Amino acid sequence: MNTKPSKGVGQRMPLYDGVEKVTGRAKYTADLFPRDALVGRIYRSPLPHAELIEVDVSAARSLPGVVAVITGADCDIPYGILPIAQNEFPLARDRVRYFGEPVAAVAAVDEETAERALKLIRLHVRELPIIDSIAKARAPDAALLHDKKPGNIEREVHNEFGDTAAGFAAADLVREQTYHAAEVNHAQMEPHAAFAAWEPEREQLTLHTCSMVPYYVHKKVAQCLGIDTAQVRVIKPYVGGAFGARVETLNFEIIVSLLARAARGAVRMQLTREESMLTHRGRPESETRVKLGMTRDGRITACECEVVQRGGAYAGYGIITILYAGALLNGIYDVKNVKYDGYRVYTNTPPCGAMRGHGTVNTRVAFESLMTSMAAELDLDPIEVRRRNRIPGPSVTPNGLRVESYGLPQCLDKVEEASGWRQLRGKLPKWKGIGMACSHFVSGSAKPVHFTGEPHATIVLKLDFDGGISILSGAADVGQGSTTIVAQVVVEVLGVDWRRVRVITNDSAVTPKDNGSYSSRVTFMVGNATLDAAQKLKQVLVEAAARRLQVEPDQVECLGESFHVLGDPSRAVSFSDATAEALVDTGTLHVKGTFTCPIEFQGGKHRGGAVGSTMGFSYAAQVVEVSVDPVTCRVSVDKIWAALDCGFAINPLAVEGQIQGGVFMGMGQGLSEQTRYENGKMSAANFLDYGFPTMAETPPIEVFIVESIDPNGPFGAKEASEGPLAGFPAALADAVRDATGLEFHEWPLTPERIAKAMEAREREQRAAARKTVRQPATAGAA
Amino acid sequence: MKPILRIQVNGRWREEAVADNTLLIDFLREQLQLTGTKQGCDGGECGACTVLVDGRPRLSCCAFAASFEGHHVETIESQWQDGQMSPLQQAFHEKLGAQCGYCTPGMIMAAEALLRTNAEPSEAEIRQALGGNLCRCTGYVKIIESVQAAAPGHRQTTGEPA
Amino acid sequence: MQELDIVKPASVAEAVSLHGGAVGARYLAGGTDLVPNMRRGLQKSRKLVDITGIEELRQIAFENGALRIGAGVTLEALCASDLVRRHAPLLALAASQVAGPTHRAAATLGGNLMQDTRCYFYNQSDFWRTANEYCMKAEGTICRVAPSSSRCWASYCGDVAPAMLVLGAEVDISGPTGNRREPLAALYADDGLQHLKLGPGDLLVSVEVPAQSGWTAGYEKVRVRGTIDFPLAGIAVAIKREGNRIADLRVACTGVNAYPGLVPNLEAWRGKEPDEAFFAALEKAVRKEIQPMESTLTAAGYRKRVALGLARKLVGELFESAGA
Ligand SMILES: Cc1cc2nc3c(=O)[nH]c(=O)nc-3n(C[C@H](O)[C@H](O)[C@H](O)COP(=O)(O)OP(=O)(O)OC[C@H]3O[C@@H](n4cnc5c(N)ncnc54)[C@H](O)[C@@H]3O)c2cc1C
Ligand code: SF4
Ligand code: FES
Ligand code: FES
Repeated sequence: MNTKPSKGVGQRMPLYDGVEKVTGRAKYTADLFPRDALVGRIYRSPLPHAELIEVDVSAARSLPGVVAVITGADCDIPYGILPIAQNEFPLARDRVRYFGEPVAAVAAVDEETAERALKLIRLHVRELPIIDSIAKARAPDAALLHDKKPGNIEREVHNEFGDTAAGFAAADLVREQTYHAAEVNHAQMEPHAAFAAWEPEREQLTLHTCSMVPYYVHKKVAQCLGIDTAQVRVIKPYVGGAFGARVETLNFEIIVSLLARAARGAVRMQLTREESMLTHRGRPESETRVKLGMTRDGRITACECEVVQRGGAYAGYGIITILYAGALLNGIYDVKNVKYDGYRVYTNTPPCGAMRGHGTVNTRVAFESLMTSMAAELDLDPIEVRRRNRIPGPSVTPNGLRVESYGLPQCLDKVEEASGWRQLRGKLPKWKGIGMACSHFVSGSAKPVHFTGEPHATIVLKLDFDGGISILSGAADVGQGSTTIVAQVVVEVLGVDWRRVRVITNDSAVTPKDNGSYSSRVTFMVGNATLDAAQKLKQVLVEAAARRLQVEPDQVECLGESFHVLGDPSRAVSFSDATAEALVDTGTLHVKGTFTCPIEFQGGKHRGGAVGSTMGFSYAAQVVEVSVDPVTCRVSVDKIWAALDCGFAINPLAVEGQIQGGVFMGMGQGLSEQTRYENGKMSAANFLDYGFPTMAETPPIEVFIVESIDPNGPFGAKEASEGPLAGFPAALADAVRDATGLEFHEWPLTPERIAKAMEAREREQRAAARKTVRQPATAGAA
Repeated sequence: MKPILRIQVNGRWREEAVADNTLLIDFLREQLQLTGTKQGCDGGECGACTVLVDGRPRLSCCAFAASFEGHHVETIESQWQDGQMSPLQQAFHEKLGAQCGYCTPGMIMAAEALLRTNAEPSEAEIRQALGGNLCRCTGYVKIIESVQAAAPGHRQTTGEPA
Repeated sequence: MQELDIVKPASVAEAVSLHGGAVGARYLAGGTDLVPNMRRGLQKSRKLVDITGIEELRQIAFENGALRIGAGVTLEALCASDLVRRHAPLLALAASQVAGPTHRAAATLGGNLMQDTRCYFYNQSDFWRTANEYCMKAEGTICRVAPSSSRCWASYCGDVAPAMLVLGAEVDISGPTGNRREPLAALYADDGLQHLKLGPGDLLVSVEVPAQSGWTAGYEKVRVRGTIDFPLAGIAVAIKREGNRIADLRVACTGVNAYPGLVPNLEAWRGKEPDEAFFAALEKAVRKEIQPMESTLTAAGYRKRVALGLARKLVGELFESAGA
């Protein structure tokens, strides 16, 4: 083992579990399917909205090779992510509300039999009107998707902080604009998969699933099966991306468990790409009306914003999403007067949910777009305008969010300089342009979704006779690198040789509960809990070494693999000896570290005030350079410069990767991605039609890391993955305006959309030309 | 009765009973338990299932195993040799060419096909050759860097192992 | 997936006899069009005659001023072929824009020319199409794009055919009823259901293209992303110039009709200067030839716009470079 203390944080480190991934040895859920498990398949509603009169599964049930068939009658317990909004059944009962909603499920001996069984299922229904748009949902006489939800409104939010009327009165320029963003899907590369094994003798269930929040899945599966949570064990294998798609319990996870119990055995379930997209939980289509007041020198005096989200058929995360959309109007610029009105509506489309940048993206895109457009009107540089609105120092926003560290100005400096902004803005040749925008995101919701009184994060370090340190972590690594982070923190604190450390993750029977990989909480909260655990273990070892060395603990220096008497390196014990001493009388050590966000960070006192609350915001600025083809109207993104303040980069390599990935996802939303519906039927549920960008049109993304060293983050770290996304669509539209002179308020900026705008302009120009030709004649006649 | 298929997989000749309607990907994953090859879409749209057939890249989800009687198939599992990661694996690991890792096996196999014919591809050539392989995590930047680092031409001039 | 019987003949004759024109039999080449369609339940074939083992289908030769390319040549091989690059670079250019690189490594010229027509209501899963009560092209009776129409408007979206057409390609076909040679253009029909005039069991053996010499030619397609995507519209142009005049001109389109087609009546412009009147007439001629329908997620109006725009741009650019 190493003699010098090992370094953990601040290093460009390959992923801890990277070798498995590049060798193909990493086992994702579907890779673990035993060959003899039954095949589970879901029968989905072919109708977007209908009353279920009968679900006839008799023929399917009697097909040889079919072991179990279940319907809504087999589970009358609703589920949902928010304790106050559980209105979804794993299999529809009485009514279906979106195309693709699970209605029945079969377990059969093989794929073909399961497939044939599905074809034997018959529905008797009464069709209901299809409410597939915001306008239809809000129409005065609209059919209602849910009882007690008049107007199909899932949740309305109204709040005002400061005095917006006074703010607008103090402005030199007031502008208002409505922006429209299409619905997008996470499109993680791994299709959903789960595998459930019911042991009838023990009455226990083991579920393998691709979740970001195995603990919620655990609770909801037990709830819907009507069994004790103790009877359930949830294991999360490698996960092929998630981005929020798997941040709530999904219907198939409960269905496969119900099937396993019904079949009294093991059931494997692999969803198709289409089914994975139908399961959805993506970013809702939204209409965002923003009004800003600005002084002549670019200071924002007031902001008013109204957001309407097409939420889909069930509650999901909807309430949080619509709250987020308003809450993060704050926390990036120094705006004192902010009014927000939000409406989340129910529609006959698959339920939306959380997607990278949860709730905040489309609001940020709208805000940034209007801000830039007003700057142009005032003849101000958009980067300069952002500087003028910077948050002066640690402060509390009007809605009660705390800003401790703030690296946005440095981010602006970086991208301005690297891109050559001053030389290029407004000066590029025709059909080329450059644009910019900013964004931010929370480093973990300071108040967990489920309040239990438990710490917000827990990590256990196990040290035994062998001197090996097992980090037991419940944090779900879905590709973002959380497993690597916890290992880095432990090695940094203890200074031990890397070979001493193992990370064991996500087996509810072994690892501590973790709230899950949502709201970019893991590095901050789990990082802090790991820091706590490592420091405690170090203390135990130092004390043990002190006993062996017969000195006081404060006389002992830890050098990782050995412990010395301060000032006398010749008096030392090895790590193994210190461990042996520490184990005397106690045996195996389990040292626990925890972290809880203090109450003062948990947000404003108003209703919904906890949403958006965090201990630290990440900040991002980006510049985008584009070319527009005048014939095809296709936008090519030529180069991206993105800077992110992540507090401190525990692993700069991983931070770069996260920034690039986040920007890339913003690029997809800006350029080409959108779900489509044909009369309520999701119809671009494949990678060809959904169209997220390929390597061919993704440009180099140059990244800059800004380290503002947050006072509360582990080693100063904040989040690094969600923040950089939202800037892209706005920066893109800004760049396209620089290139074409056309302003866009709708995303994605497809060639078709740009062509329409160009045609409209050509028509206007022709009309204007005709007028000017005709006018002298008229004048002459008069 | 399923016909017997004689096929070389990762250097080893096999004789397996395979139904004619078995897709190559299912043959590899289910029958041979070579689960490194991934399925990302419902057919032909993502590249996650890329393997090599006779040294050229092939979407294993768009081909029937029965078509490859007497042919040579290589999967991601073949890259690990003599107890070592291949240069591509090493580079994808060290340069963070893999985040969630799900696109990685297909990406590495497509890159392998490229490097066998082009020892020092330019960035444009890499973008061109891997254009059919989608990745949702990385924004592709570090994938391109990984392939560049693993290119034999590059390794020769820098003396880096990968 | 349905039960299948796959046979792998070693010669054209054997392939034709194994197929025999039987109902439910179909040739399988690279599979990049056929297999995704089969997986969606769009092709019910029971017997596949895998033609990738036939050596004679993989030949490229240049004889008597013409390039002969076997139907089994992969698009990757076609792009890399020195003969193709020398004598008909347009074909390599068009082939290089088909799908993604991994598709092209398997996809064949024959499969590309024979690929199925596409439509938003057709290229969907069985689940989706069942829920949508199918359409005329598969299992249904009415056309979802144009419900009152008695035909199918699915579009042909191959990239290589238009390039072949402007070079005046001819095809050799071998079938249970014998062998024949005909112009490539004669192979296609304006019908989304039956866009190929092939008899049962007819096998495309090879394509012959006169050398491109004298022609300046180009191909451009529009798609949403930079690779993989089918053409929303594609235009191939071949032009000959004499001084300031057009000596000859051919334009072909793809993605905008049920068949890849040559724009008719351009001979009228032989010997004329490409002035604004010419370009206006060219646009008019293309407009008359194409009929994109709402069969893609991208609106038909856009596809029409870019087809016209590309034709104008390509003809202009190629005329210029032909002078250079
Ligand atoms: C995601 C994706 C994107 C694509 N993008 C494009 C694109 O941009 N442009 C484009 O042109 N195509 C595209 N394609 C379609 C396809 O890849 C190409 O058309 C390819 O060239 C088909 O060739 P193949 O050898 O794979 O044909 P196969 O799939 O094997 O066959 C296609 C059809 O042709 C018939 N056939 C094949 N060979 C012969 C023969 N010699 N004689 C008679 N019949 C024959 C088959 O019976 C079958 O009906 C795409 C496909 C996918 C999956
Ligand atoms: S054009 Fe009409 S008939 Fe043809 S595939 Fe489309 S919907 Fe069906
Ligand atoms: S799995 Fe997507 S192309 Fe094969
Ligand atoms: S690394 Fe996750 S899809 Fe590529």
